[in-house]
Amino acid sequence: MTWLGRLFGRAKLERELNTEIRFHLEEHIRGLIAAGLTPDQARREARMSLGGPEQVKEETRDARGTAWLEDWWHDTRFALRTMRRAPGFTAAAVLTLAVGIGANSAVFSLVDALLLKTLPLNRPDQLFVVARAGVQDANERFSYPRFSRLRASLPESAGLAAMTPAARMFAAFGATPEVVTTQLVSGEWFPVVGVAPAAGRLLGPGDNQTLSGHPVTVISYAYWNRRFGRSPSVVGSTLRINGTPLTVVGVSAEGFFGLTVGEQVDAWIPAVMQIDLRYHQNASNTDGETERPWVPQEGMAWLWLVARVPAAVVGPSVARLNKVNTEDLRQLAATDTAERRYRLQERLVLNSAARGLSPLREEFSDPLVALMISVGLVLLIACANLASLLLARSTARSREIAVRVSLGARPGRLVRQVLTESLTLALIGGALSIVVARAGGAALLRAASSSKRGIPLDLPLDLRLLAFAFGISLLTGLIFGLAPAAQVARANLYDTFKTGGRVTGGRGVKLPLGRVLVVSQIALSLVLVVVAGLFARTLHNLLAIDPGYDREQVVEARIDVRAAGYDQEHLAPLYQRLLDAVRAAPGVRSVSLSLHGLAGGSARTSGLTIPGESRPPGFDNAAQENLVTPEYFATVGMPILRGRGFGPYDGPKTPQVVIVNEAMARYFFGSRDPIGLRFGYDENANMEVVGVVRDAKVNELREATPRMVFHPLAQAPEEFISSIEARISGPVALVVPAVKRAVASVDQNLPIRDVTTVGELLERGLQREQFASELASLFGALAALLASIGLYGMISYSVARRTNELGIRLALGAKPKEVRWLVIRETLSLVAGGLGLGLLLLLPLVGAMRRLVYGLSPRDPATIVFAAGLLLLIGALAGAIPAWRASRVDPATALRAE
Amino acid sequence: MSDNRAKSDILQGMLDMLVLKVVAHEPLHGYGVAQRLRLLSQDRLQIPQGSLYPALHRLENRGLLKSQWRDTATGREAKFYELTAKGRRRLDEEVSGWRELSVAISMIIGTT
Repeated sequence: MTWLGRLFGRAKLERELNTEIRFHLEEHIRGLIAAGLTPDQARREARMSLGGPEQVKEETRDARGTAWLEDWWHDTRFALRTMRRAPGFTAAAVLTLAVGIGANSAVFSLVDALLLKTLPLNRPDQLFVVARAGVQDANERFSYPRFSRLRASLPESAGLAAMTPAARMFAAFGATPEVVTTQLVSGEWFPVVGVAPAAGRLLGPGDNQTLSGHPVTVISYAYWNRRFGRSPSVVGSTLRINGTPLTVVGVSAEGFFGLTVGEQVDAWIPAVMQIDLRYHQNASNTDGETERPWVPQEGMAWLWLVARVPAAVVGPSVARLNKVNTEDLRQLAATDTAERRYRLQERLVLNSAARGLSPLREEFSDPLVALMISVGLVLLIACANLASLLLARSTARSREIAVRVSLGARPGRLVRQVLTESLTLALIGGALSIVVARAGGAALLRAASSSKRGIPLDLPLDLRLLAFAFGISLLTGLIFGLAPAAQVARANLYDTFKTGGRVTGGRGVKLPLGRVLVVSQIALSLVLVVVAGLFARTLHNLLAIDPGYDREQVVEARIDVRAAGYDQEHLAPLYQRLLDAVRAAPGVRSVSLSLHGLAGGSARTSGLTIPGESRPPGFDNAAQENLVTPEYFATVGMPILRGRGFGPYDGPKTPQVVIVNEAMARYFFGSRDPIGLRFGYDENANMEVVGVVRDAKVNELREATPRMVFHPLAQAPEEFISSIEARISGPVALVVPAVKRAVASVDQNLPIRDVTTVGELLERGLQREQFASELASLFGALAALLASIGLYGMISYSVARRTNELGIRLALGAKPKEVRWLVIRETLSLVAGGLGLGLLLLLPLVGAMRRLVYGLSPRDPATIVFAAGLLLLIGALAGAIPAWRASRVDPATALRAE
Repeated sequence: MSDNRAKSDILQGMLDMLVLKVVAHEPLHGYGVAQRLRLLSQDRLQIPQGSLYPALHRLENRGLLKSQWRDTATGREAKFYELTAKGRRRLDEEVSGWRELSVAISMIIGTT
């Protein structure tokens, strides 16, 4: 018989085993009687020599080898039967588990996609980004000429490619333009990254030879699918990007998004096409000319470098890269000796890019880890509830268990049965949790993203997610099955039979395990409620920050003048027309233009030189710059504190004037009065400070106030502005469309990215904090709810078991109030124990939370006191109903139950 | 019940060998095996009956024994075990192994 056959022929085998043992006993008895014993003596003797029949059977079953499987099958069926008998309990347990495990899996899918998973490429472990180390103000951008020298130095087996960060451009295929995400890359990029084409061909070194000579592009599979329905005829057709016609030569492989996790690139374009595509972002400029092609310029650092290096040549590759880099630095470094020595400390390193690059990772990894821990704690609390429920049930079954033990069932066998039950529950919950995980993951992504299209992050239903859900289910089943199992293992026959399952204890109520569970639930809840409180107060503090300008009455319109195809000589008239049109819009009180808008995410930073000042090497001489029209300060509400503002008299032919903010003046000029002082980009100090404006957080609320230098736009009329600010007096909902119409009336083809209030823009910058706060509040509330249910269950149970004791107390004259207090006191002592333990748990959390809170300490006493008070209140409420019930016990009924 | 305090430390392998040996003559039921072991050893060996059934089922499970339900002389149905070809080979191996071992042990004990 095969083991399978034996498994299913189990009932028959069991019958046969019974017969066999019975036959043995009867034959033995017969023989003993024949030898002269009385029947009674014979029966006793036979039983003694065989040992317990159940035990023999059990051992025989084990000897058959499939015992574990049979036991498992038996236990599972038993578990399912038990579950069917208590559908309410089962449904509640399975649902709790589905939500608990599902929430964990959802957060895990996000953590996995963002932090753990390697790129879907061939040998991602060989991918690196080139980074600078050894100096303070290191940036990771390189010029094209230096990239070429570095590439030539590498060993045969290694490859180096250059790329820009993803940039938003306007693509037109036939009719209306749309925003696409593009990336300029060197010819080596696709071979280095190691991706295959889905159609046509990819870009190669041959596509990046002559300046402006390669009007081609490769589009991503996602864009091909989204925009062209995977039509094969797209390959070979023309796509206009930022006005330049490009031939689509191919489509990259399905699922390839680029190297940045959470970002889907739509089109890749050869880097030599930079000037044609009007790409003018993210460059670090040292004596470069921004309006001339960047590729041949040493002074324009605008490219990230990505390398594919087999493990064996990593060492030599780094050495060669540094040889070239140091040589370059020797030629270019400043003449000042101390500064020179400092600059020469710069080293190139290879950082692994196996998991891709991701600004999202930096932004979300701390909150995600906090989230993962929180959601894990919620599941633990849910486990404790289930454990208490199972525990209560197994206590109710203690007589049954005792009977089975006395019939020869081994404790191990019973423990296994209890565990099978909890594991079965957990696995059913786990299977359902996949649905929750899928929906939850998608919802998390939506909540975390600020743009309407969401974060293009793939959260696949893959083996990793299934394995995680399965593993967590098993773990969960073990955790909440352990307490009842331990109870069974310790089953004490004597006590059980003696007391008949009744408890008469006054103070020390039995079931200490149950109390431990409730206390730990409250402790974990305290942690989660405190975390929620910290996040909520952080968000509140951030929103309450005064940015230094008016956030509600200022509307900002983001435009892209460059993409509309304007030449530099036509900019000044365009700017005047924009100012006039928007000023005339209803509800607009004043209007200004600026190079970079407020809370905009882009900025220009330059190094400044103050004549006659010597600075220590490595001194950060950078300040952020903006170009503005004269009305800017009044429009956004940044008061001029000293000196004057800009006026119509500051023009291209008048001396260069600047307005600085307080932070800039303090940093560069100390206590000196800055008005009238001069500085420049080099020793030529051609700019004069005419005014000081109040400090403002122009980029985001969290930042330390940046040092700012404002230039009049009229003195740099060739610059492409990107923002129009309008101070409004009417309702936002009415003014915004009016501003849009006004801009469109100037030029139908001028792309408008966004029109909204500055306040809205600032809040978008707090997406991460909002996300963290909302989720932490959800988890905190869930934790407190679960803990209060656990506490309620525990106290109700304890009251029910002490009914006759309470009845006697009442019969002997105790007042209902006293009995109520007895129960409430028990409840509160549990809560207090939990809070004490929770405080201990909070301590290690302090360090982890430091980076996530703003404007308060992670051990903010007010938050902790509030959370503890909240839990005490919830605890008192959970104890109130059982307490009331206890005080209403009718002594006669209680005693009759005896 | 001093005779019932069996040599419970009989190694499992030895018990298997003895069971195979006893069953080799003729098919026997469990109680018969116990009786036969006791008789043949002249009461020197008292197999704890509790470990006899696990042994029988283990040997059957490994294909060394096969079983059949049939009537006993007294007309009751019982499970009779008999040796398979594989069981017979194993018995021969075990017996010759045991002989060598016991000769070796006697030699050692004899010399001192």
